[in-house]
Amino acid sequence: MNKNTAKRVVVTGLGIITAIGESIPTFQKALFNGECGIGPVSLFDTTGFPCEVAAQVKIKDLKEFFGAKGIKRVSRCDLLGLIATHEALLDSDLDSERCSKKDIGVVLGGGAGGMLSWEKYRRTSWLKKTKARPSPLLSIAQCTLTDLIASRYRLTGSRATISTACSSSATSIGYGFDLIRSGVHEIVITGGGESLSELTFAGFNALRLMDPEYCRPFDKSRRGLSLGEGAAILILEDYESAEHRGATIYAEVLGYAINSDAFHMTSPDPEAVGMSRVMTKALETANVSIDKVDYINAHGTATKINDQVETKAIKRVFGEKSARALAISSTKSMVGHCLGAAGAIETVATVLALSEQVVPPTIHLENSDPDCDLDYVPNNSRAQEVRIALNNSFAFGGNNTSVVFGRVQAQKKKMKSQK
Amino acid sequence: MIDIAITGIGVISPLGVGREAFWENCRKAKTGIRKITSFDTSSLRSNIAGLVEGFDPRQFMPPSSYRRMSRISRMAVASSVEALKDSGLILDSVDRERIAVIMGTSYGSSSYVEDFYISLLKDGPRGAQPFLFPETVPNAPASHIAMFHGITGPNTTFCQNEISAENAILYAQNLLLQNQVDAALVGGADELSAMQYSCYDAVGALNKIKVENDEPINPKLGDGLILGEGAGVLVMERLDFALERNAKIYGILRSGVITGGITSVGHYEVEGKQMARAMSLVMKKANISPDDIDQINVSANFSSELDRMEHNQLKRIFRKPTKNLPVTPLKYLIGDFGGAGIIRAAAIFLSLYHQLPLPTVSAEILKGDSECSLAWNVPLTGKIHIALMTTTTFGGGSTSLVFTKS
Repeated sequence: MNKNTAKRVVVTGLGIITAIGESIPTFQKALFNGECGIGPVSLFDTTGFPCEVAAQVKIKDLKEFFGAKGIKRVSRCDLLGLIATHEALLDSDLDSERCSKKDIGVVLGGGAGGMLSWEKYRRTSWLKKTKARPSPLLSIAQCTLTDLIASRYRLTGSRATISTACSSSATSIGYGFDLIRSGVHEIVITGGGESLSELTFAGFNALRLMDPEYCRPFDKSRRGLSLGEGAAILILEDYESAEHRGATIYAEVLGYAINSDAFHMTSPDPEAVGMSRVMTKALETANVSIDKVDYINAHGTATKINDQVETKAIKRVFGEKSARALAISSTKSMVGHCLGAAGAIETVATVLALSEQVVPPTIHLENSDPDCDLDYVPNNSRAQEVRIALNNSFAFGGNNTSVVFGRVQAQKKKMKSQK
Repeated sequence: MIDIAITGIGVISPLGVGREAFWENCRKAKTGIRKITSFDTSSLRSNIAGLVEGFDPRQFMPPSSYRRMSRISRMAVASSVEALKDSGLILDSVDRERIAVIMGTSYGSSSYVEDFYISLLKDGPRGAQPFLFPETVPNAPASHIAMFHGITGPNTTFCQNEISAENAILYAQNLLLQNQVDAALVGGADELSAMQYSCYDAVGALNKIKVENDEPINPKLGDGLILGEGAGVLVMERLDFALERNAKIYGILRSGVITGGITSVGHYEVEGKQMARAMSLVMKKANISPDDIDQINVSANFSSELDRMEHNQLKRIFRKPTKNLPVTPLKYLIGDFGGAGIIRAAAIFLSLYHQLPLPTVSAEILKGDSECSLAWNVPLTGKIHIALMTTTTFGGGSTSLVFTKS
């Protein structure tokens, strides 16, 4: 693409629902207070698993959110996603009338989609006691949330769902960035949702990748990840369009890269080649020098190998000395690993770090690990200058994504009343 | 405008394993729809699908490589091996970080999802089979392709129902136009599984046909879709890169567009306005008019909603009686799946390359009237310079692609 005609891409709306907060204000407060959302799971029986806990969204009935009109035949993942979308569009001051007039794209990342609905159906038919109702099966695909958002807000632009496990929704932000930068769309809705499911819960347990208590990223005594659920939606917009309509600008998307370890289905390459190359490539496409980077929202799953290899990769990209000057945190320590939604949730955390100039902490970090010897902002958030921030997501299959964000000072936070 | 060339094709399909077998049967309009034997269909209302038969992964890779792969990953890697060999691209002589692997699939390895979950139901929390779980992620086929060939460039997977593979083509185009990569292996794959087939059966989406043995299958027009399976990979590269290495060129991806149709879950867009908009936009971008198009490849799959909508919109756009409008609904031969777009594109590129037309039906057939019956026309000759491929999925979403000879 011609660099001179490439558009600038900014974030003009945020929406979120997680175990530690069900809206941007509550999430932000919990994020900077270092609250932990990991606890008992009520969605299905976890008795007997090596790890029985996860970061489940606390609201009892998600359908209540949709008021008297209600909502039918929607999976838990889609409910979470629609709640976050509602907030993001409102935040971006895009009502349904405005939405339908613009050719808005929807590009999301998906993990297990409506797996929980399929599991209920399958369990019932396997037990053969009662006949299972088939209607929930309509929404089992990863892309159902993408389609639901488009139909609810009458969006006729590009439609895509990326499904690369834990890096899905981070890549969706990258693709949304491409579509705006190249002039295909002015506005793209990005992000993703994920609900806990027996499949992923049993899967990570079977692989012995889960900490029985709670995940403790970068800690010497870490024993694995904690799963989480939630959704995050980010409205990406052409800078000129955002300026023109006086939208709130949270941060700028500067670039991204995706690549493959081409190494192993579940293990990262111990030499950290893929992880370091993806960060380097992302910084190159963003055209920023490494000394401007102040914060990295790490993948930081709290598995023995991920945290060690990610640390190695960061050192390789930034050099030992500069790596030590970075603030790095794993917000998974608070919201758990939300798989398909992880990249989007962590992007919201990254964007808030830029707009608030506060870096979120890594909680449960008590004992330092000689293999993880960088500044992981242990246990307490920190007010500091954040100019450029990076968000890392590394998935099963060796699918790596790194997205680069920049602070937008002058335009930040116009009061809504001034519009 | 940078052109994108297609230089390699690999196909594992219900019409044959390997590009040559596929092309031969495709030209004859031989059906790949058969009775399902790989799982029990006795409790279901249908028992037919487009099935890949005679696929032996050993013809493409050593057993140690496919030992841990699900069926979908095996088919995907096999088609990538064939496509790469066909393209003449020697990976050792290029920067592997400048090669992308982009895939589209509806559900990935749904058979492993089912097997894993059943192992949990049967044997409890401590008995679930760990080796099945990693293969349940939809990106497993793309990851296996990367691992098998040692390709470290951009790698991602799209799951967008019936436009999954088309989404992969468009994302690869995006990477190539930005000069992020020199070439991309772009694929689509799906496996037929008891899990996915029984879900489609339960919601009443399938063509309700049950056959006993090997009798000929006559799907009812407009009665419901017929699922299929298979994998295909295209090697896409920037034209300058292809010319520099003297590659054989099947054809050019001239332009591509995706639009979003508004509908409810499990249904197709009602009128097809967004499908028509995608077709109009893609022609405008390619700077062509409907009269320039020599071949129309449609996504009709025997469901009344989709087939009728395609009929109506084609009639509007091509402004002629649909009786006289030949179209190629390849899913009538291979069945419907998220990765099918690559196999349809492969058929178009083989047709452009050999200058031999694809079999057609009259677009009138898509109306699904009871007086029409499915009759294939197999033209022996015909010049083909420009082809249009339109795809619409349930859930909304349409893509249009224009392919040309040069």
